[in-house]
Amino acid sequence: MTDDQEFYAWLDGEFVGAEAHRVAVRVAADPALAALAQQHRALGAGLRDAFAPLIDQTPPAPNFGSELIDFQARRDARRPSRLPQWAAIAATLVVGLVVGQLAVSRSDAPIETRGGTMVAATSLDRALDTTLASVAGDGPVRVGLTFRAHDGAICRSFTDQGTSGLACRAGEDWRVDALFAAAHGQGGDYRMAGGDDPRLATLIDERISGEPFDAVAEKAARDRGWR
Amino acid sequence: MTSRSPFDAELAPVWPRLRRFAYSLARNPADADDLAQMAAEKAFRSFGQYQDGTRFDSWLFRICRTVWIDQMRARSRISAFEAPAEAGDGVGHDPRAATEAAIDLNRAMAAMQRLPQEQREVVALILIDGFGYREAAEILGQPIGTVSSRLVRGRQALLTMLGEGG
Repeated sequence: MTDDQEFYAWLDGEFVGAEAHRVAVRVAADPALAALAQQHRALGAGLRDAFAPLIDQTPPAPNFGSELIDFQARRDARRPSRLPQWAAIAATLVVGLVVGQLAVSRSDAPIETRGGTMVAATSLDRALDTTLASVAGDGPVRVGLTFRAHDGAICRSFTDQGTSGLACRAGEDWRVDALFAAAHGQGGDYRMAGGDDPRLATLIDERISGEPFDAVAEKAARDRGWR
Repeated sequence: MTSRSPFDAELAPVWPRLRRFAYSLARNPADADDLAQMAAEKAFRSFGQYQDGTRFDSWLFRICRTVWIDQMRARSRISAFEAPAEAGDGVGHDPRAATEAAIDLNRAMAAMQRLPQEQREVVALILIDGFGYREAAEILGQPIGTVSSRLVRGRQALLTMLGEGG
């Protein structure tokens, strides 16, 4: 073994011209180093061969250009035994074509990925925790309907920066189950009544158990911590 | 859809390499597939921040590494409640290791798991994917000297675990 970084950099093709030639001469003159070079070349080739099936046999790349992408369902489909059926359904994540601004990789992004699940963060998390749809807020996040889903969780629809979505309570988090880009001409300041986006309305119809909360039920749910 | 979106057009040629990178970092194929998928999703959502003219593969690999590190941190918080990981099974103490003709994917992944994270990512980028030291250093946000010394330690450890492999 050698810690000779110059030797390894040469081995990896980091040197060219006279510099490469100088190291090559040094290695050639040292049988131990020459043998080590052979061992490490074989190791590198063996590793690349081992991982080669990932290159040769990889399925096509996911297509993000389609209008709707069901990310979580795709992951669940690969692991059918992991989650009960209702959880797979509840975790359905539908993302519109232009989600853009919401989930950017900033520390203040309103959505973050945690353990493979998208959850509300920062301003969106606060708004879902505290805002009552019956009381007009002044922040960028507008909360629409609040309801109890078939699985018992409380869900809330929202709009933020021109994107609408559905978040459901999961422990102390708001799990973001759906995001839809706003339809053309639908600004972020548009007050959503019950999911103006027809896709969101359809999703709410599928999820909702009973009627949406009225102002009293919504406030009571907030006071109970959205249990 | 008859034509690809700009993001899909960038992703398609890099996707097999992204998946291989994920397999070289993750502890098992299921986690690796999740990691590649999540990295692609995150890149899709952040595509507005990608600068034309820069290397898309480097940008995508950087995102993949960030997702992976986040997962590792999350996992380390709960690892005290889990049984010891199976990583490393079948390597290290196998007397055939140095003489076996070829390394299969499972053994290679298990050996990679036994490397410290900072060595694993350097080996994955340089030895397996073929990035140059400078590109790898930029992806990792580390000085070239740091990358170089981690690579030396990582490849020495792998040689001990796997033998020459060829």
